[in-house]
Amino acid sequence: MARPLFDSELEEVRAIASRMASLVEEAIRLAMRALLERDADIATAVVEGDEKVNQLHHDLREETFKVIATQAPVARDLRLLMGVQYIGAELERIGDYAVRIAKRARRLADEPEPGPSTLVDLARMGELAEKQVHDVLDAFIRVDPEAATRVAENDDAIDRLYRKTFAEQMSALAADPEHVLATQHLLNVAHTLERIGDRVTNVAEDIVFLDTGRVVELD
Amino acid sequence: MIDPAAAATVESLPSRVQATNLSFFYGDFMALKDINLSVPENHITAMIGPSGCGKSTLIRVFNRMYDLVPRSRAEGEVLIDGENILDPRTDVVGLRQRVGMVFQRPNPFPMSIYDNVAYGPRVLGWKANLDEVVEHSLRQAALWDDVKDRLKRSAMGLSGGQQQRLVIARVLAVEPEVILMDEPASALDPIATLKIEELAQELKKSYTILIVTHNMQQAARASDFTAFLMMNEARYGELVEFGPTAEIFNRPQNKLTEDYITGRFG
Repeated sequence: MARPLFDSELEEVRAIASRMASLVEEAIRLAMRALLERDADIATAVVEGDEKVNQLHHDLREETFKVIATQAPVARDLRLLMGVQYIGAELERIGDYAVRIAKRARRLADEPEPGPSTLVDLARMGELAEKQVHDVLDAFIRVDPEAATRVAENDDAIDRLYRKTFAEQMSALAADPEHVLATQHLLNVAHTLERIGDRVTNVAEDIVFLDTGRVVELD
Repeated sequence: MIDPAAAATVESLPSRVQATNLSFFYGDFMALKDINLSVPENHITAMIGPSGCGKSTLIRVFNRMYDLVPRSRAEGEVLIDGENILDPRTDVVGLRQRVGMVFQRPNPFPMSIYDNVAYGPRVLGWKANLDEVVEHSLRQAALWDDVKDRLKRSAMGLSGGQQQRLVIARVLAVEPEVILMDEPASALDPIATLKIEELAQELKKSYTILIVTHNMQQAARASDFTAFLMMNEARYGELVEFGPTAEIFNRPQNKLTEDYITGRFG
């Protein structure tokens, strides 16, 4: 016996979560471009675009509650719906982080241009964060807990770059106190990218949960 | 396959009914094959599975109801209180007093409410104060307040849910150890169904309960342990998975169990 209506509802829930992940991946990419190219217009587009992510998160919750209330899911089906709820909350937060970076980018556009080495590391962190979101989405679509675990392991690279950036900015601040405001913005961006990495790790844990039913810590 | 952690949970509890290599035949037809199951004492165990998987047959073995079916026989061992109840020398009347049964449709006798409950003790020739036995049993069955002012009236005038609780009171009156329930709520409305489930939760403090149900949600919310049975390719009923209900409905170990409880076949 198949359950075509139920299966199509589950597919819709998955699809909403996938669309959310695609949007936040794009938001990170654009926020970093705004930062690196000192483009306030792109930054504003990211801030305004977050509304779509929030709307999808709202739709995801509505759809999930409807399916739980009407289909009485158990086992794998229930884990998918619960797991997607957690993932939706993490993605919504990642979207907020992209907005935070975009807002810092707008302010940085008015500040003196930072030194190239800082931007290289930040750009690299941004690429890694974007890739992490992309890879974890891939693991989600394929329901692949092993791939999700590998994604979580890759978070170390972002953490290392964050520590390096933090140390360098502190030294720069000591040498050049006049750039305190710009430095503070850059540190905030670096910290935000580091937090995105942590949220991706949470999503990876949720993927392991929805496939295996085991609650794991991957950080 | 049985998850080791779940199995440990089951094994750590005292067993009230222990089936070992139990097979059952209707004539030449093997309905159950090599069932190994330990039913934990003072808990509710649900039996689920598609129609024809042998779950009703299994609980009917536990009080030898099958004796009434010509050419049927059981092989293996079923221990209750250390005694193999499949032994032909078993006193089946005594067994059915210890292992009571409630059926799908309420089956009160066409007599008064009082006489329904007093029936068993009278047949067994008990000298106890019948008024006390009747009141105690009806209270245990959560029916006393509904019927205390009309004990002499016909049981047939009760609602379906009340009739089913009366039948449970009738079972309780003979002080059983195990209560077998075969789809006890499937003929009842949702409110009466929940009352039976709540009642079972109370009764498990004193009794061991086995419930056969087609209602997966009922098994999930009302039982402590769940056994999933299925007909295999050779059409024998087999125990596919047994464990704590929360495990079965969250993380079933066997794909067949998963497919069944999620409604992908059955």
